[in-house]
Amino acid sequence: MSNSQPSLISRRTVVAGIPAALLLAGCRPGTPERPKIAALVTEYRRRAHGQHIVDRFLGGYGWGGRFHRPPMDVVSLYVDQIRESDLSRDRARQYPSMKIYPTIAEALRRGGDSLAVDGVLLIGEHGSYPRNEKGQTLYPRYEFFRQIVEVFRASGRGVPVFNDKHLSWKWEWAEEMVETARELDFALMAGSSIPVAWRLPPLEIPSNAEVEEAMVIGAGGGADSYGFHGFESMQCMVERRRGGETGVAALQAVRGPRVWESLRAGSWDRGGWDPELFEACLCRSLALTSTREGFDHSYPSLEEIPGLVKDRVTDSGPQLDQPLAFRCEYADGMKATLLLLEGLTMGWTFAARLKNPQRLVSTHFYLPVRGLGGGAEANFFSPLVNGIEKMFLTGKATYPVERTLLTSGMTEAGVDSLWRGQHRVETPHLAVRYRPTPEPTYRRCS
Amino acid sequence: MFVTGRRTFLNTASAGPAAGVPNRARPGAKRLAILASRWTPGSPARQVADRFLIGYPREGRWRRPDMDVVSLYVDHTPEADQSRGRAAEFGFRIYPSVAETLRCGRDRLAVDGVLILAGQGADSSPRPSGSDLLEPMVRVFEEDRRAVPVYWDEPMGQAQARKMVEASRQLGFPVLAGSSLPMTWRLPPLDLPAGCRVEQALMVGIGSGRSDRYRALETLQAMVERRGGGETGVRSVQSVEGQAVWRAGSRGRWSRELLQAAVARSDSLQGQTLKDGRPRDLVNSGELPPLVEHPEACLVDYSDGVRAAVLMLNGAVGDFTFAARLLDVPEVASTHFLLPPEPNRAGSACLAARIEDLVQSGRSPIRPERAWIASGILDRWMESSKKKGVTLETPELRLEYRPPAESCFCGS
Repeated sequence: MSNSQPSLISRRTVVAGIPAALLLAGCRPGTPERPKIAALVTEYRRRAHGQHIVDRFLGGYGWGGRFHRPPMDVVSLYVDQIRESDLSRDRARQYPSMKIYPTIAEALRRGGDSLAVDGVLLIGEHGSYPRNEKGQTLYPRYEFFRQIVEVFRASGRGVPVFNDKHLSWKWEWAEEMVETARELDFALMAGSSIPVAWRLPPLEIPSNAEVEEAMVIGAGGGADSYGFHGFESMQCMVERRRGGETGVAALQAVRGPRVWESLRAGSWDRGGWDPELFEACLCRSLALTSTREGFDHSYPSLEEIPGLVKDRVTDSGPQLDQPLAFRCEYADGMKATLLLLEGLTMGWTFAARLKNPQRLVSTHFYLPVRGLGGGAEANFFSPLVNGIEKMFLTGKATYPVERTLLTSGMTEAGVDSLWRGQHRVETPHLAVRYRPTPEPTYRRCS
Repeated sequence: MFVTGRRTFLNTASAGPAAGVPNRARPGAKRLAILASRWTPGSPARQVADRFLIGYPREGRWRRPDMDVVSLYVDHTPEADQSRGRAAEFGFRIYPSVAETLRCGRDRLAVDGVLILAGQGADSSPRPSGSDLLEPMVRVFEEDRRAVPVYWDEPMGQAQARKMVEASRQLGFPVLAGSSLPMTWRLPPLDLPAGCRVEQALMVGIGSGRSDRYRALETLQAMVERRGGGETGVRSVQSVEGQAVWRAGSRGRWSRELLQAAVARSDSLQGQTLKDGRPRDLVNSGELPPLVEHPEACLVDYSDGVRAAVLMLNGAVGDFTFAARLLDVPEVASTHFLLPPEPNRAGSACLAARIEDLVQSGRSPIRPERAWIASGILDRWMESSKKKGVTLETPELRLEYRPPAESCFCGS
């Protein structure tokens, strides 16, 4: 069968049996060189995800009490949109070992005729892309992914891929991305920086705990962009519950005055949520808007909250569409609410009611963003990059991509529910089953 | 529904009686007296005492402590004063003297706890001269043969701190002394292992006021006091300023390795990072010194040989971080003390929880000697600075204590 396709040799096969310590030290027998990484970004400008992530691979970042330089090299870069604010040329000058290529395929082949990198960063966040009638920004992550996979197939091998944020705005495409990675047996990892952020206090749902009801409160962005962050915040916590993740059966998004009806309802069954979960989330906030003049930190009354949540309205209309609530019915009976309440709080908080024994747990996902103790370097990208590095070194996703498959689908379903007049939508396609890694993957000591 | 109920209660409470009406503490609730330099935006009274008026977040609940502020002594009432408004709204009395405040205008000590809030806090107005709040308080405790738990945010110097510790020992009242910085969230949640052997420690701080330096020293002390053998005090203190700070580092008087670790914990690098958003290796690249216009350092030699330094690095970083090398431990230990954003300053909620526990239990989670050492080092730092950086022996700081093994910070 001399003409047959070369068999795909997975990274997992290559690295099997090598002690983890060697892998982490970047000492892989048979591949003495530092892994070569291709970065594919929609934009490389100040404050874009592409800048924050690729800059860390190029120049390092503070980690574990030292300045860490990733033991790998970004050798090729593809930038989809180059505008005046573009920094990619500047970076290529500063790091001559990184070359800019005009296409994704060339960036992966680096001038040759087959795949010539050991890992791929797919950062399809930010940039000027059309929005559909539902309000989803059509970032070309799936399109980039397909081009990556074409090179993998033609080269007879695949390498680990990190996809920033959702997999795709369209469920079928997101699902296809995960299935393709499985078929070609390369590691695929995706998602938001929130699941790997510091937690104040450190909290993980015990693996045998039943979760009755959960809540995440966040702010900023719209249903598509920040809804995704909220679902990731939710999912990284609840996925550890007893029985593992079995997916989401139905989802409903509500906005505007209907959210305030839910606020007053007093329980899930009455169309609202457990008020103690709401209180716990607000009490974990580091930036709760004070309602009492002359006081720095007060707890708002139910009557005061609607007056605090304000949409940012611009010439093109409301920008955030808040207040927003997503009511999620999980396949195993767990209920969860994601609230986006711009104006009431900043940052992301989580609370859950566990049963057997009954217990309420809560935490704050601490991201050092500006305004919350962080600086221009946006260090919440550091644990994300560190997790990606681990994947590039081990050939295994640091945490399961199924989490982000599910949250991509939840985000789409939420947007869909809004578009359909805030109706509850059944989501049989979201029966995503997976188990998290046994060990925690959020930032704890480093 | 719980929320609604409690809110209703608070709203009712905040309707408030007319000024001058004697306090209306709830029966059975602990009674608190506040001794404050002032009650203005940014002041410690606003950050800490307000939490005992309207509650604060604690472990995922909005907690209304089962205690009431019943009396206040306030040193200064500048234009931005809020003390009179608070008294009117929450129904407590302002008295003209510390003694009357503690006795609530009667003849005997009439409170269950005292909060002394005399530090600078985030109020940037010039620090008021500050009358001595400690001595009249101790006199009341002595005269009335009863003493109650005391929280003290920042002693005004070693002599005062020493008096406080001695009075607390003699009269048997617990003291919780210190700012919110050692109590805030730590990233990561590090405490040095109790009984560890510390070789060197380094604290990086920012700010320029007395309170900023005090907070840095107090936090350093909170970290190193856990070492093996317990605290045995400080032998000498030296102030170093300007380029001499870097030379002291080159000579090995403070450790560049520890500075690297501490700065690597920063989440708000200054300099070029502000312009391009890129993390930078400020220490190894040599970029750090030019960023700090006025470097200041306090070099501390402990009696047991441990060497420590506080570096105030305005211009290079925007946060407080710490690093230490322990004997026989290959990795440097390091952490970042989170300053939660204004206006909530949620670190002071963690402090409020400790104060509440102090008053309820009659036990302090930390030793007041920590504040004694910190304020003593600060006095000598300032003195050494005036004397152009001469090394000063500190016999007054040869004190010994052992802190509780249990950690005392947010989430610990």
